Amino acid sequence: MAVTWKSEELTVNGVKTQVLSAGKGDPLMFWHGAGTGGGWDFAAPWTEKFKVYIPYHPGWGGSADDTSMTTTQDFVMHYLELLDLMKLGKINLVGLSMGGWFASTFATQHSERLKKLVLVAPAGLRDKAHPTTDIFRIKPEELAPYLAENLAALGPPPDPHDLDFVVNSYREATSFARLAWERIYDVKLPKYLHRISVPTLFIWGKQDKIVPEAQSAVWTKLVKGSKLKTFSPAGHLVLNEKPEAVKAVRDFLAA
Amino acid sequence: MAKWQDDLQFYTFHFMHYTDLPADQKKYDSLWVDYSNKNFDAKKGHAFYQRYMAEMVLADRLGYDGLALNEHHNTVYSLNPVVTLMAAALIPQTHNAKICVFGVPLNLEMPNRLAEAYAMLDVMSNGRLEIALPLGTGMEYWANSINPAVARARFREGLEVLLQAWTQDGPTSYDGEFYSYRYLNPWPRPMQKPHPKIAIVGTGSPETVQIAAERGFAYSSVFVPIVAQEKTFQKLRQEMPKYGHEFTPDKAIFNAIVYVAETDEIAERECKEHVQFFFEDATRTTARYLAPPGYISGEQLRMRAAATASHGGFDWEALTQQWRVVFGTPDKVANTLAKWCESANSSRVLVHHHIGNMPHWKVVKNMTLFAEEVIPRLRSKKKATAKESRVLAGAK
Repeated sequence: MAVTWKSEELTVNGVKTQVLSAGKGDPLMFWHGAGTGGGWDFAAPWTEKFKVYIPYHPGWGGSADDTSMTTTQDFVMHYLELLDLMKLGKINLVGLSMGGWFASTFATQHSERLKKLVLVAPAGLRDKAHPTTDIFRIKPEELAPYLAENLAALGPPPDPHDLDFVVNSYREATSFARLAWERIYDVKLPKYLHRISVPTLFIWGKQDKIVPEAQSAVWTKLVKGSKLKTFSPAGHLVLNEKPEAVKAVRDFLAA
Repeated sequence: MAKWQDDLQFYTFHFMHYTDLPADQKKYDSLWVDYSNKNFDAKKGHAFYQRYMAEMVLADRLGYDGLALNEHHNTVYSLNPVVTLMAAALIPQTHNAKICVFGVPLNLEMPNRLAEAYAMLDVMSNGRLEIALPLGTGMEYWANSINPAVARARFREGLEVLLQAWTQDGPTSYDGEFYSYRYLNPWPRPMQKPHPKIAIVGTGSPETVQIAAERGFAYSSVFVPIVAQEKTFQKLRQEMPKYGHEFTPDKAIFNAIVYVAETDEIAERECKEHVQFFFEDATRTTARYLAPPGYISGEQLRMRAAATASHGGFDWEALTQQWRVVFGTPDKVANTLAKWCESANSSRVLVHHHIGNMPHWKVVKNMTLFAEEVIPRLRSKKKATAKESRVLAGAK
């Protein structure tokens, strides 16, 4: 089911920020990962029960570049300001991959702004036994099998000769490099994860080839009372691959 | 305005490739960044170093104005990942030629250490050092622990530190985004005051040309097509006066692949396979390695992608038409170089005498014929022109 998204442009601390929204109900904000190629149709079931907001991070989609955004803390502050600007008191927050890194960091500092938290295959943790794949090492033409088990779920593959696609991918990689070229994790994150004080659900594809599902053991241990739901066969973009995963998020947040 | 003939100088530029490649080398889409170093043979490496140093020493004996070296990492393209070591090794073996380190990518070294290394070379060589500062190719950022997304900002800051270290008496301090110094006070300081001649080296990207214009530095264009190079120098000539600096022909430095022989036919026969090796093998890498994230802007990436989409394989005719590649008799080579110097108003030519996987005897032949037959032809153009201008001015 395709969703008709309303697009708004806000200026957050000087940075033009594009926010998509659809649906009715309690606010549910989704923070996307380092790539936005998959689109947001997967979120349709959420719009039945929630007012869904999908802001583009600075440096992605219709949001402007901000070369000073080099740490997760910059994104935490950006979203604190965005929530104030939108007069959103408490939200349900869902973060995928890099967005999950931002969301978990946000929650360690600002749980009072959250009702519930869902982290979908979150990046940001250093697990030496099950390391996150360094996506900078993956050739673009070899990326798709890293993202999903069922490639059809990602829609038609992009044309590598489409210059707009190439330039957009480069821009997203550049924004991600500002944050994560040196390290695709935050060594101090585990030290503070116990500060998350809202109900938290982890969602993972069993066959995730970017952030291995095995990392969930560390996360669920450090985030008190958190739950885990895994899906198989499914890869990193489990929300695109498994409608059940999307419904599990909805049910957890609505309960 | 100064003309190129007034101060024409020739530097021989040696990339010092490691050319001993396995028979199946074509299967690797890049001989940079990830081409395995298990393929490096130290005994062969030693022989290459011995031979390449001997070629540079010969260039000094033949009267070349400069011996130019550069630095690359993780690649067969260069045996000089620490180019200052090679420069130091050449100093006691040479006497007159400038030692041109063109150069250490500024971002890969602490700027105070670079100020120290270059000052050592300048003092050790009694003021023979000349330097060029590259941003470094995209490939260097895959090989080193430096974020390409901040490369250009970091480069500007490193340059500030380097110049502060050389132009102000220490100790000074520096407080930047990337570097901070409590006591910037490097010993030794350069022999040449306030510092050796500096060029910015690059492909002609707007940012690097801008830095050269602002500082009044020379611009050393890497090997890019003639049209692009001329645009770069034109922009340099236009921009430099805006910052109160005078453009002089020694500030436009270009590269040329040159091979001199008895006839055009012999020249082509002797050099062609090595030029082909240079373009097809030594420089072979991927678009991804050339442009790591943030190394260039999206618009520049779009321009590059559009330009390369139309390229095929090795095209000798196109190469000699569009690039500064000239082979033939001394007359032909001298006339072509004179034309290029004239159109770029450049008095500094970096000549590649060692091309690709060229054997030693051809390098010696090429370098010797160029020194003995081409350079005098070009220098005589200077005399003729000077005489003409005296006549025109009504002097005796």
